[in-house]
Amino acid sequence: MMDANPTPHNNHAAANSNAGVAIAQSTPAVETHGLNYYFGQGDLRKQVLFDLNLTFPRGQIAIITGPSGSGKTTFLSLIGALRTIHDGSLKVMGRELVGMNNAQLVEVRRGIGFIFQAHNLFESLTAVQNVEMAVELLGGFGSKRAQAIAMLEQLGLGHRVTYKPNSLSGGQKQRVAIARALVNQPQLILADEPTAALDKESGRDVVTLMQTLAKEQSCTILMVTHDNRILDVADRIINLVDGRLESDTSMRDFVTAHDPKTLDPRMFML
Amino acid sequence: MSPLRRTPLAWLNLTHDRRRLATSLGGVAFAVLLMFMFNGFKNALYDSQVQLLQLLNADIIITNTQKYNMFVPEAFARRRLYQARAFAGITAAYPLYINNANWKNPETKATRPVRVLAFNPQDPVLLLPDIQAQLDKLREPNTVLIDLKSRPELGSITPGVVTELGERQVRVAGNYSLGTDFASGNGNLVMSDQNYLRFFSNLDPELESRNLGMVDIGLVEVEEGADPDRLARTLSQRLPKDVKVLTKDAFVQQELSYWQDNTNIGFVFTLLTGMAFIVGIILVYQILYTDVADHWAEYATLKAMGYKNIFLLGVVLQEAVILSVLGFIPGFCISVLLYNATANATGLLMQMTVSRALSTLLATFIMCLFSGAIAVRKVQATDPAEVFG
Repeated sequence: MMDANPTPHNNHAAANSNAGVAIAQSTPAVETHGLNYYFGQGDLRKQVLFDLNLTFPRGQIAIITGPSGSGKTTFLSLIGALRTIHDGSLKVMGRELVGMNNAQLVEVRRGIGFIFQAHNLFESLTAVQNVEMAVELLGGFGSKRAQAIAMLEQLGLGHRVTYKPNSLSGGQKQRVAIARALVNQPQLILADEPTAALDKESGRDVVTLMQTLAKEQSCTILMVTHDNRILDVADRIINLVDGRLESDTSMRDFVTAHDPKTLDPRMFML
Repeated sequence: MSPLRRTPLAWLNLTHDRRRLATSLGGVAFAVLLMFMFNGFKNALYDSQVQLLQLLNADIIITNTQKYNMFVPEAFARRRLYQARAFAGITAAYPLYINNANWKNPETKATRPVRVLAFNPQDPVLLLPDIQAQLDKLREPNTVLIDLKSRPELGSITPGVVTELGERQVRVAGNYSLGTDFASGNGNLVMSDQNYLRFFSNLDPELESRNLGMVDIGLVEVEEGADPDRLARTLSQRLPKDVKVLTKDAFVQQELSYWQDNTNIGFVFTLLTGMAFIVGIILVYQILYTDVADHWAEYATLKAMGYKNIFLLGVVLQEAVILSVLGFIPGFCISVLLYNATANATGLLMQMTVSRALSTLLATFIMCLFSGAIAVRKVQATDPAEVFG
């Protein structure tokens, strides 16, 4: 999982400009200290996240669960640099997001792969063009077609590259969206209910693909989900209730606690 | 599509839904059509006023000082033309006589005022080919050429018709094609200066009799290579102050300015054009806003991926520009057809010139950019964090 080209620890500029360049492998992918977050202002100000202290090492697949309104999606959007934060500390790939301005946040987002509940593909673009939109973000105009096709082939959509989303099934559309999120080889993937709109089988396929690709590219996945059928892909399960950390279980403990007889064989490979 | 280029998102978004594209372009084309028609009517009214003046074969025009538009009947002494001819650089000066008279409709016997233009058939005053070909007929006594585009109230105007002009028998010797304006009454008649004397030198005492000594418009020709502006200034300074000397362009402009400044034509049609412009802005805004609203989640996803606001603004503005250009083409084509139809039906001078087409294109362009600028506020307000959940 560790690759052999460690870059200098403080070389943030390189990390900023290209998500493909690995930062020092020792820094965790995501690190929070005393993270608080509030919605609204003045009298209407309501705290939604309370004093979160979490560290996600690189390569980890973590599932964040919790009842609705527990702040899990808000937590994910903070890590995704989609909101400005004022309180506590949140480091993504070693970069402190607290106090960043909008332009800096946009720069951080470019190194993150986002997967949403809805596929959010442009109906007017073909599968490959939708994926190319992500490649263009980092300027790969010459190689974008090849990169996008390679990514779609990895997701088993090699025969569907010129199809528009209308002609694809739900699972295929979500796989195109995953291709779009992964094509720039981000170090961090944030997924919000990626299987919610899919049937059991396609949901399973999609998650397995994410898992395989994440392992190949050694990237970190944080996934918010209610879907119990996919919990087994996680290395770690975090439960948030009312904006507070309720439990933080490693996969081993979780499986032991829930059903010691059916140990996931994957556990032994780790 | 070249792989080296950015994905043409604006173009693909617009053209994805063909039916919606057709409706959108229909909307833009309609706004373009409205602007063209209102502008066309305005210009037709202005152009009609000066079409005769523009046909006058002259570099410099001399009129009575008090004649600030074609309605003013003041004439000037013919000797001013002889004086003008004496200046270096001037090759010729011809008189044009103008008088209003009543024409009797040969069928209904009703009389209608017309304008008579008279000149010596030997002088190259009006170079319309139809008139030049029929100069011999003008030399016969009591004959006129009559404009085919005269008002239908004049009745039959085919050659050979005999009726009355100013209570004197007149014979239609031929036709030509010009068009009416506000000062020409129901039409323009052309006759020789000799016939002019026959008709107007001996009128009733209450009417002012005319003679060849008093000229309405003097047409001055300058030598080739001479500067009409400079000569017009010289003549203006050296001739007595009872005449006004203008270059032909300035003379045409004086007439135009009169109609522009002293009538509501400009105001009314500019207002209508402005309203068409605003209708266009609203139409295009609706189109762009719908596009942004329908693709809200996709645009927000682009923002989450790291696209900046400026990129999305670019997409919306590109859509605006594409709509303006694509919508202009059908709007222009239909306008050309309607211009011809209107010209045939009303006799108005509906002219589609390159500069008018380009200025409407520019207006369409600004119209669409304006709508785009309003619609992009929706994109700017898109919050990528809301795509989560």
